[in-house]
Amino acid sequence: MEGFADSLQAMKAKGRAVIGCFPLYPPLELLHSFGLTPVVLWGMEPGPAGLARSDRHIQPYACRVARCLTEFVLSPGYGLMDALFMYNACDTLRNLPEILEGALRERGRPLPVFRIHIPAVSLHREEAARYMEARIKGLIADLAAFTGRQFSEQAFLRSIRLYRRQRSLSRDLQIQAARGGLRFADFSEALMTACRLPVEDHVALLEKTLEKAGAASHGGGMDKRRAVMISGILPPPRGLIEAMEASGLVIAANDIAALARSCSSSAAESSDAAAYYTEFYRDHSPCPTILFSSDRRLEAIRDEVMRHDIRGVVFAGEKFCEYEYFEYPYLAGMLEEMGVRSLFIETGADGALSPDVYKTRIETFARMLDT
Amino acid sequence: MTAGDAKEAFRKNESGKRLSSIIANDYLTLHQRASEGAFVVWIAIIVPAEIFAGFDNVVYAVPESHAALCAGKGAGTVLCEKAEASGYSADLCSYARIDIGTVLGGGADSPTFGLPKPDLLVSNNNNCSLLVKWFDVHHRTWGVPHFVLDIPFCYENQGADDFAYIMAQFGGLIRTIEGLSGQKFNIDRAREAVRLSSLALQEWRRFLSFASHRPSGITAFDSFVQMAPILTSRGTGQLVEHFRLLADETKEQVENGIFPVPQERYRLLWDNIAPWHQLRKMSARLKHLGANITSASYTYCIGALEGRYEAYGYDGGDPLAWLARLQNFSVCPHGLNLRSKAMKEVIERNAIDGVVFASNRSCKVYSLMQMDQMKRIREELDIPCVMIDVDHADERKYSEEAAFTRLEALLEMIDAGRA
Repeated sequence: MEGFADSLQAMKAKGRAVIGCFPLYPPLELLHSFGLTPVVLWGMEPGPAGLARSDRHIQPYACRVARCLTEFVLSPGYGLMDALFMYNACDTLRNLPEILEGALRERGRPLPVFRIHIPAVSLHREEAARYMEARIKGLIADLAAFTGRQFSEQAFLRSIRLYRRQRSLSRDLQIQAARGGLRFADFSEALMTACRLPVEDHVALLEKTLEKAGAASHGGGMDKRRAVMISGILPPPRGLIEAMEASGLVIAANDIAALARSCSSSAAESSDAAAYYTEFYRDHSPCPTILFSSDRRLEAIRDEVMRHDIRGVVFAGEKFCEYEYFEYPYLAGMLEEMGVRSLFIETGADGALSPDVYKTRIETFARMLDT
Repeated sequence: MTAGDAKEAFRKNESGKRLSSIIANDYLTLHQRASEGAFVVWIAIIVPAEIFAGFDNVVYAVPESHAALCAGKGAGTVLCEKAEASGYSADLCSYARIDIGTVLGGGADSPTFGLPKPDLLVSNNNNCSLLVKWFDVHHRTWGVPHFVLDIPFCYENQGADDFAYIMAQFGGLIRTIEGLSGQKFNIDRAREAVRLSSLALQEWRRFLSFASHRPSGITAFDSFVQMAPILTSRGTGQLVEHFRLLADETKEQVENGIFPVPQERYRLLWDNIAPWHQLRKMSARLKHLGANITSASYTYCIGALEGRYEAYGYDGGDPLAWLARLQNFSVCPHGLNLRSKAMKEVIERNAIDGVVFASNRSCKVYSLMQMDQMKRIREELDIPCVMIDVDHADERKYSEEAAFTRLEALLEMIDAGRA
């Protein structure tokens, strides 16, 4: 949480207008094109003060993502945002805007909150596409009123290019991580930093990291017998990833919402924001939070497993993330039919366990892949 | 009439007997018609079932309602455990676990032998988005098509764009059923079903209105039980008749001085889904304390627009428009301001002394605003509130003693306020 606060402080010192967004796939390009600096309030950890502020508003059986972002937004020292943006994804997050608005008002620092409903059905459906278009137009009008700027096609295209570059570099880095050019924990950290850096700085960071990784890559000569994929809404804690690598597992692919799912797809450049976001969400990399992508997700996971010759999948479960949890049993069954083993590990805000707790299971899993 | 007589008289209420018969017949008819070739649709509870009346031979089943029935009959835990044994987390909604457990067990342990296998699944995201994930489980297992209705959440009252979007989706649903079943939709039949539903909901309101009597003519537990046919008999004359008789009988009891909690000292409101496994125990123990949960957000929202109490009547116009406008009626699809508005109205209307916020692990969407809502109610209306932990259908996640410690504390707070 401190990392987030420090980053925001640095942004504010440079005079940036910061908009905190949730959940994970907001229309960043559009927000950016209005001169705002979007940060995605995702993947935070409880700070030294724990989650006391959050606990006054939401029950402890909400997921860590919701509790940490609530804590962050309400913490007095972190009043560094100029606005909040949210779209509908899960049931927990859709309840948060009014809670945050009310709590901030009570604390004497109200923030504007922008909300849009992104269709939860395929945007191939005409009515959904029409509804989406109206939402984007409405958001543009709201942002124009808030920033005092008009929507600019040129600015929007520039923002699109920046984010496309960021996603492309992220994908390249992912390839390097699979080749051993950098440890998965470092790759994960490099991508997660995107949540709290201006996109321009993140692009620079990715370029630098990629350069180093390219030099260290050993060109695909890794032990494929222990190739695994990690799946989850968030990357597992660093200690857990290190325990996996120490046990000889090769993290060759990931299906993590904040990593591969965030960077695997980009819509085509378009100065028409409504058309751009219709394509963006319609063809987005499958994710349990994008309800209509669930059939595609099965195919995508199957393809990734075959493409990387994956022998095992580690499901990193974020406690109380029902969206992910509903899919595990079916996915585990599907993988079993493919001869791929799976391991389920659960983490959460109140269960910040030592990697030692997982170590035996991970080591056993690694040995099972040899059989 | 003594208190003992009153208790005995209340127990003999004909509506309870009629209800059992309706529910049993509804499930029997469902199985029978399915076995005779009817097109079977499984729906989430807020999916407008009146649409199916527009087809010659379409029947619907409601897994959530079936799960509640299982929990009420004591089969919740065993069915949850079946799902958990197959890898479904115990943190998932207990309705979903019961339903998945029922399917995995081929209907064994279900009081209705499960539900007939569907030809189409229709879910929505207004009550909760995870219904879509839940129905996806069946979609994958059986390869049955899954139609999703996307209903935008209401932070304010439903907007014109949202309404138009919902209407367009109803059209898509109708075309989907026509395509899959080979049957043609007849809007006049749907209109008649909507007319009957609207009449039934007006009778439902009349029944609920006896909660304003002192002592109350009903308990929220009555409303929890009596809401069942809204989910199995929607759009039928049978439902109108049942609720008319229910309201008439309740009126007669009130006129004769027969009350569910004759020595009523505390009038409470319940916020959340019913604790199906505890209905009898909880109501009996509360009654012993002179407390009556007279009202519940779970049941007073039925048939009203988001944030309101009065029933939203049907004017004889486009039946689909009436259904679309009501898509945010239940508590979950609308936000804190609207929830608080309706709750305040009921608290005042029914002279509520205290509110029980049932924090329900199985229903985050209902529960995760309660802490703020409780604060508002406490501060703005100056009435005591308490939060207890429940799970609507998984008895293992409920502690009676822990709950009653808090409920008794609530009653003490009410007493203290009166002193």
